[in-house]
Amino acid sequence: MQKPGDELLVAYLDGELDETRRAEIEAWLEHDGVARDHIGRLSESAALLRAAFDEILREEVPERLIDAARGTGAGSVHEAEILPFRPQRRIGGFAAPRHWWIAIPVAASFFGLMIGGGLGYFGLGNTPTGTDDKQVATLSASTNSWLDNVAGYHKLFVSAAQGENSFADIPAAGDGGEVIQKISQRTAQPGVRVPNLKPWGLIFQGARVVIIEGRPAAQLVYTADNQAVGSAIGPLTVVIASSKRPDLAPTFDHRQDVNVLYWRRKGHAYAIVGQAEPGYMWNLVNDIAYQLDAI
Amino acid sequence: MSAGFSDQLIAVLPRLRRFARGLTGTASEADDLVQSACERALSRMEQFQEGTRFDSWMFRIVQTIWIDQLRARKVRKEDGEVDGERLGSDEAVRRVESRIALVEVRRAVSRLPVEQRTALLLVTVEGMSYKEAAEIAKVPVGTIMSRLARARVALQAQLDAGGGLRRSTDDAETG
Repeated sequence: MQKPGDELLVAYLDGELDETRRAEIEAWLEHDGVARDHIGRLSESAALLRAAFDEILREEVPERLIDAARGTGAGSVHEAEILPFRPQRRIGGFAAPRHWWIAIPVAASFFGLMIGGGLGYFGLGNTPTGTDDKQVATLSASTNSWLDNVAGYHKLFVSAAQGENSFADIPAAGDGGEVIQKISQRTAQPGVRVPNLKPWGLIFQGARVVIIEGRPAAQLVYTADNQAVGSAIGPLTVVIASSKRPDLAPTFDHRQDVNVLYWRRKGHAYAIVGQAEPGYMWNLVNDIAYQLDAI
Repeated sequence: MSAGFSDQLIAVLPRLRRFARGLTGTASEADDLVQSACERALSRMEQFQEGTRFDSWMFRIVQTIWIDQLRARKVRKEDGEVDGERLGSDEAVRRVESRIALVEVRRAVSRLPVEQRTALLLVTVEGMSYKEAAEIAKVPVGTIMSRLARARVALQAQLDAGGGLRRSTDDAETG
């Protein structure tokens, strides 16, 4: 018999050889110490491999998976639609990235968002306003929860802004009332308010309309008014969405390397998203909730 | 919906998570993958043939979705390329990882090409036969055999190079 190759040795270890072949391998191993050592190490690494992955079997299965198995989950792989950043809008004298069509897929892939729908763009003809001839990139969220979506949108915004400050569909310039009116129209949420966070060192820069779980939501964008401390507290986004779920007290979570404080109140879901210290964000919650009349 | 079907699905969830973790390399991505697989299974439950192995059917769904996702992302990794985020870049954290050897093994698996990784997970971790693994991966048995051999040799080489095998052995012995 020729010296057995790795395929035969591995198949021998896996019990996949017939009686004749097994006997041949064993006969070979009798007089080949190198082969014996090799097969011993293969066997050892296989045992390690099983041990490494068996740990996962002892983990508690997440509730969302059990819900999904029962068919009672909220549904995963939501098609999250993200309005592209629009280069023609400038806020606060900062230049918008020139190549938004590059920024979107780069940011999306970087943060685990996956371009779907055949990389196609389609017009947002059925938006609440139906006025803008926008294009919408359909992105499939790599994660499926509402929280992951808001975290992903935050990171997408920060990445696309590339530290040059924000840009938005509805810039904060001009009459504040106009901004509120536009947000309300585009998100089909009458009476949306924009919290004033100046006392917290945050300046409202504008709003974007994002689609979360099939419904339009407002993403309010704030940046730090002090560049020296800006990286510590901003940028920060506040998401306001409609929700059919029951009320929920403010709850902290950490998703995709950003902090998320979220709550639900009277048919709305809210989230504060950023990389500021959790303590700072907790302090913001009460004020924001009060201003939004959410608590 | 059949309660029995869901019960079978719930029963196999831990193994699906383990398989998905091996494919994706991260817990969150793995659970997303499993959730997608559950939803696809429920939507196509009439396609499951009674009398065949339910777990194999589910593994095939997980594997199919994962391949679809890779294609959609247009991931074109070179063999052996290491995704820094997945593997962790914080050396300090990794040093204090009490079970570093087992972590190293999972890292080594994540470096394998996806076809080899799939074969390794199905046969060596899940204990499936070559024939069952071939049916799930939709390739001939001989292909599974060669992929598996390459995977096992590559894995061992990585562990030897990183010293993981020795530390792993010590770890296992000290329990």
